[in-house]
Amino acid sequence: MSVITKENKNMWYLPGILTGLGITLKHLVKNLLNKKKMITLNYPEEKYEYSDRFKGNHILTVKKDGAIRCTACMLCATNCPADCITIIASEHPDAHVEKYPINYEIDMLRCVFCGYCEEACPVDAIRLGPEWQTPGLNGANFIYDINHLAYRSQLKGGVQSVVDDEDRNKAGI
Amino acid sequence: MLPTNASSNASLVNIKCSINGAELEVKPGTTIIQAMQDNAQKIAHYCWHPGLSIAGVCRLCMVEIAGNPKVQIACNTVVTEGMKINNTSEKVKDAVKWGLDFHLINHPLDCPICDQAGECGLQDQYMEYGKYTSEMAEKKQKKQKVVDLGPTVVLDSERCILCSRCTRFTDEVSKTHELGIFNRGDHAEIGTHDGKQLDNKYSLNTVDICPVGALTSKDFRFKQRVWYLKESATICNGCSTGCNVNVYFNKEGLFRVKPKYNSEVNGYWMCDEGRTIYKFVNKEARLLKAKQYKDNSWQTEIPAGTAAKEVAQLLKTAQPEEVALVLTGQNTLEEYEALLATFVTTFKTKNIYHWWPQVAQAKDFDGLLLRGDKNPNTNGLLQTFEKFGINTEWPNLEQNLKSGKIKQLVVIGPENLTVYDDLKQKISLFLQAEHLIYVSSVKIAELESREESLEQSLEQSRETLKTVTLLPMKSYIEKAGTFVNYKGLAQTFKKVTTLVSEALTGTELAKLFAGESLKLEVLKAADLLTAVSSTRKDQVTLEHSKKNEFVFNRGRL
Repeated sequence: MSVITKENKNMWYLPGILTGLGITLKHLVKNLLNKKKMITLNYPEEKYEYSDRFKGNHILTVKKDGAIRCTACMLCATNCPADCITIIASEHPDAHVEKYPINYEIDMLRCVFCGYCEEACPVDAIRLGPEWQTPGLNGANFIYDINHLAYRSQLKGGVQSVVDDEDRNKAGI
Repeated sequence: MLPTNASSNASLVNIKCSINGAELEVKPGTTIIQAMQDNAQKIAHYCWHPGLSIAGVCRLCMVEIAGNPKVQIACNTVVTEGMKINNTSEKVKDAVKWGLDFHLINHPLDCPICDQAGECGLQDQYMEYGKYTSEMAEKKQKKQKVVDLGPTVVLDSERCILCSRCTRFTDEVSKTHELGIFNRGDHAEIGTHDGKQLDNKYSLNTVDICPVGALTSKDFRFKQRVWYLKESATICNGCSTGCNVNVYFNKEGLFRVKPKYNSEVNGYWMCDEGRTIYKFVNKEARLLKAKQYKDNSWQTEIPAGTAAKEVAQLLKTAQPEEVALVLTGQNTLEEYEALLATFVTTFKTKNIYHWWPQVAQAKDFDGLLLRGDKNPNTNGLLQTFEKFGINTEWPNLEQNLKSGKIKQLVVIGPENLTVYDDLKQKISLFLQAEHLIYVSSVKIAELESREESLEQSLEQSRETLKTVTLLPMKSYIEKAGTFVNYKGLAQTFKKVTTLVSEALTGTELAKLFAGESLKLEVLKAADLLTAVSSTRKDQVTLEHSKKNEFVFNRGRL
């Protein structure tokens, strides 16, 4: 590596630096005088409130009877750009349900929260919820399974899907 | 009507016609749909299948013929001299659109849970001609779902569009007559006659020819979505017929096998037995690493190359008459040649034996495809034996093993163990050698497991047996080669995919046994480029599917 030394005698950078320091000083004084208008938050004591449409952790919705809504069509997994969804499908004992996932896993560390899975789903089985603070220590399980995605305690028994088998049957679809 | 001399002469002359503006010459008696298929013209159809009789029930293959006031069905109209045919006009498109609408009246919106989605005739035609909202005010007719038709096939009556392909198949090809269409109007559905099951050796062909998801295979049901699978052509190694097949696979392994048209071998069909060939190719069934039994204990996880080189050392020191090789009809012609060349020229032995359990049933034939000889390449092996002048009898091997004449025995074992019911017996025979080198692509429970039977047989032969080496071999899906079928037709196939990267092919083994080392094949950049561009040629050219890299030309009817 070679170091190029160049004698630079002009000092024109000084006005720029001084202006910058002036702006910093101005904000410091402003914030000290009016704390309410300060932009930074004291996380984690203070939390930012995102809108309900925020794309956070996934939720698998449930049907009226509490069973999982997902039909294991794998369109979400097909559409997923991060390849983080793994589904294993199986035959359901009820012939009208026919197919359901016996295993549905999302690798949260791979997920980019793009919401394409939600868009691809034909039966409103997967949604991105507002929940976003899910830290974990080293070794925490970031591969969420059906139990977590559909029935975690925060969801209070599961979020109901807007597309229900019974309604669809009645409508003759 | 018997043709007179004049008319038979006339029938030899090709007929001129024009299809969508292109001037064509076709043989007399050709139907319009055949002429279009032969000349790569697209035409919508469900009920017509080149291997079955003409039914003309789906009313989708509509064409406009100049001078004809109404559109006609192409499958049941024979081309005549000077016929001007067109299926791209608005009139035809409108007819197809309405035909499709009638098919979809009672068809459920099951696509997310339907196994056919992605290779479905209805989906393809809808994207091409449809894209409308239904104009039906009535509710859909509900029918039975998940009907168990037999040991291999599941029926969904709702999805059925009553094209009658499956019933014609059981009537005309398998001639078992199990399926029929029952009831009338929108109550009509496919079913089996009372108390009967769809249970024949060719039943899964009905699943292949079903243009929708009404018939699904129990074996493949819900295993994978079809767009996750790649398809590649190869030869079935289930019996000596050598049917051409397409295998469907992804990085996890093979998932299903479907027939590929070859007029000389299998036509459009294949048997159900052949569809299970993928099971012994997949990783769960495979021998992944070399293993060695030495000094009364098993050593596992030995790299295959290392083990093969050890074997080479062992064979090098042996006398020619002490070395023997056992082959089955389950490997490729190229492998036989390489192995025989090594044994005949390097080891100077002609102790090469043919392990063939179906020798008595070899000539059996069920009249359609299935043959008694369950090896794909028996003829290839016999040809190679002749070439190298090998003429040995199996009893000689038994005798020589018993008397201790043969000390180093190399066995290239079969892949498809289900047809080798004498495996256990044969292995206890092989264990009489001093050093047994067993090359196999599949796990051999008889050799590996610590079952009593093995311990017993090892106990019996412990005095003579010194080592057993198990070497992993590539299955036929993982290597290129040639199979010679029952009638001497040599069919060359390409490598499909690699599942067990460490396994060796017979050719590689022959080289390693002879003491040579393997060279890595280096591809030139130009070759790579052509390889890449040729892999994408089978893409569907439809506009909507051009964008989706998962859609290949596999849904063609």
